[in-house]
Amino acid sequence: MYQLNKVDKRFPGVHALKAVDFTIGRGEIVGLVGENGAGKSTLMKVIYGAYQPDGGTVTIDGTAVRFQNPRQAMDHGIGMVFQEQSLITNLTVMENIFLGFEQQFVRFGIINWKEMAAAARHQLKKVRLDIDPSTITAKLSFAQRQLVELAKVLTLEERIDGDLVILLDEPTSVLAKEEVELLFGLVRELTSRASFIFVSHRMDEVLDLSDRVYVMKDGEVVDVVTKADAQVDAIQRKMVGRDVDKEYYREQKQKPYDPAKTLVSFASVSLPGAYADISFDLHAGEVLCLVGTEGSGREAILRTVFGLEKPSHGTVAVKGAPYARRNAQEAVARGVGYVPRERKIEGIVNGMNVYENMTLSQMGNYASNGVLRIAEEKALARTWIDRLAIKTPDVYKDCGGLSGGNQQKVVLAKWRSAGSDVILLDHPTRGLDIGAKEDVYDMVREMCDDGAGIILVADTLEEAIGLSHTIIVLKDGEFQKRFDGSAGGKPSLFDLVHHMI
Amino acid sequence: MSVETFKPYFPWITLVALVLIVGAINPAFFNLGSMVTLVADIVPLFIMALGMTFAIYIGGIDLSVQQVANLVTVVATVYLAQFGIFVAVICVLCGFVVGAVSGWITTKQFVPSFVSTLATGFIALSGARYLSGERALSMSAEARDASFGWMFGNTAGVPHELVIAGVLLAIAWFLQTRTTFGRALKAVGAGELAAVSSGLNVDRIKILAFALSGLFAAIAGLMFSVKLSGGDANLANGFLILAIVAVLVGGTPLTGGVGGVMNTLVGTLIVVVIRTAMVYLQVDATMQQMVFGVILIVAIALTIDRSKMGTVK
Repeated sequence: MYQLNKVDKRFPGVHALKAVDFTIGRGEIVGLVGENGAGKSTLMKVIYGAYQPDGGTVTIDGTAVRFQNPRQAMDHGIGMVFQEQSLITNLTVMENIFLGFEQQFVRFGIINWKEMAAAARHQLKKVRLDIDPSTITAKLSFAQRQLVELAKVLTLEERIDGDLVILLDEPTSVLAKEEVELLFGLVRELTSRASFIFVSHRMDEVLDLSDRVYVMKDGEVVDVVTKADAQVDAIQRKMVGRDVDKEYYREQKQKPYDPAKTLVSFASVSLPGAYADISFDLHAGEVLCLVGTEGSGREAILRTVFGLEKPSHGTVAVKGAPYARRNAQEAVARGVGYVPRERKIEGIVNGMNVYENMTLSQMGNYASNGVLRIAEEKALARTWIDRLAIKTPDVYKDCGGLSGGNQQKVVLAKWRSAGSDVILLDHPTRGLDIGAKEDVYDMVREMCDDGAGIILVADTLEEAIGLSHTIIVLKDGEFQKRFDGSAGGKPSLFDLVHHMI
Repeated sequence: MSVETFKPYFPWITLVALVLIVGAINPAFFNLGSMVTLVADIVPLFIMALGMTFAIYIGGIDLSVQQVANLVTVVATVYLAQFGIFVAVICVLCGFVVGAVSGWITTKQFVPSFVSTLATGFIALSGARYLSGERALSMSAEARDASFGWMFGNTAGVPHELVIAGVLLAIAWFLQTRTTFGRALKAVGAGELAAVSSGLNVDRIKILAFALSGLFAAIAGLMFSVKLSGGDANLANGFLILAIVAVLVGGTPLTGGVGGVMNTLVGTLIVVVIRTAMVYLQVDATMQQMVFGVILIVAIALTIDRSKMGTVK
């Protein structure tokens, strides 16, 4: 009933969707899988009306439609349950459920709250959530909020006559096992009224729930498999475009680290609201990976090592001594380099060229009495453009105009050229294509060979396992378990997940 | 060729077009002597706009400049007899301190710069009124000529005011393009979070940017005071909007990161030409501020980088 025919979407420098065909039948549950950057989110945005396709057609029951915004898509029965929850936390549950659709409860310009509460209770019942609709949303647990999101979308049932298509974007990423089962049970029940598109990283869940699975890679649908034919290995190979094996993560290049040389030492460190009582040592040549769900404290630990957060308890020693102040200058001076997750916002300065970006953290080395030696900066940039094979026409190119992989190389060149030997990598391969990812993995190994220590927050668990010497699993800011990840003796995915949730 | 490729040249194109239009209205505009006088007249405004450029270049704004200049006219007039030429040091320090305080409030107390500078501006204004006793003061002619007479001379037909403006422009341009400080300003303006993640001391850079804005405003106030041979708490009124217009019309958007002091030169010249045109077209003096108000809105709407603004409040 809902169909995309040869849908195309381009952004400056990216061909995000390449002639994508997609159909979903009445009451069907369709899975959508692909690596980060494969085009899943773009496809979803096209479906729920946030993006308009540049080419191709969208049809519902054979009629061509074009949505200018999500509201128009909703009017055609298409609703989205967001991964980053879209509820406004300081409003009540019922206000959130009917946000933008309050008119039905208005009499003479005044909202009839009782009527709205009754209607909200009806919606909450659909998702089996027994809470007072006038509760402030912030007071709910994450799982409860997820269900409120679903309830909000299900208001379409009353509002729309036709069939519903509901998109679920990574709904299970932070849910416990029972909560996931509850959600899946609900979804299966609701297929009497709605079709679902289910996006997730967890392959087993996708196969468990979906009738058919679309596999995406580099903006294309590379395979559609039915539940009966689905095999995890085959789908994974399609997603990555090759076998995901030891070579992919450069495991054969992983060498033992030097336990005698400690670069960073955390001793019972706590940061209120983020993590508590964390201890570890990072050694020269070691990749230490912090694993946990969103909000488990991984990023806060990186920021602490970089000097941006001052812990309340415990000692953080970088190269043997704690920081005196709470800012990053000291960390940079001691050789700590930070590769942030938000590459375009925090990694590179969009609007500055390649050499300006590369020397940003080390301008002192390229200046005499505050006056820059620009010729030397350009020479440095040229050296690193060659060394890391950065694709840029010249050193004057605005970094904002480079591709993601090349931006990441500029960020890495910035720290490596300054001689940083404690490298903090936050989702370093997010949104990169396969080739660029492999380049990053190669660089990780090279940095270790040069005696640098790396603290990694990986994009996927496979990446975490493949790259690291040591894995520390965190949950809600607390240490769960430490795994040894020496080459040839890596823990399995299941070992980690078990401790994460 | 898209609109984006032309965008950096818009201010230049605007300037040339305006000059040609005004020249067509009144060919007397092209008289070199009168042109030089026109430009020399606007030097204090240019210097103020130059300082303002630093504040806007990092994505902030400095609404205190007019009041700093007011304060400085009073300080200069009151203390000229006592300190002679060294009153200039006091004036410059005044501006630097007011700017640095605004910067400190902005970075350390998280008060947005348009509020913090508005507030420090009122404090400066209050200081000016207190110090002047709410009277218009005047300098003694001998003391003024002895200390600052050189500011308004003429060498080979070039007014010294223009030389001063040129020197300050060169310093500001050198700061912006050749020093680590200038590079850091650009980084803060174009991508503050990336600057933090690169270990720059962003707070210090921002405080310095506001301090420089105050310093240039003080120099502007000093020149204005010497020029009019006096001081009073309202002397520089009307400068603020022109200074902002000069920076924005020149092509440094409120979001920061692009443009710079050369753009402000162009912007100031555009302001001069528009003002002259209004004189030629006999636009009533009371209407002129209105025209600049409209130009300001149009300039902001045209130059602002919407991708950098999540929401506008």
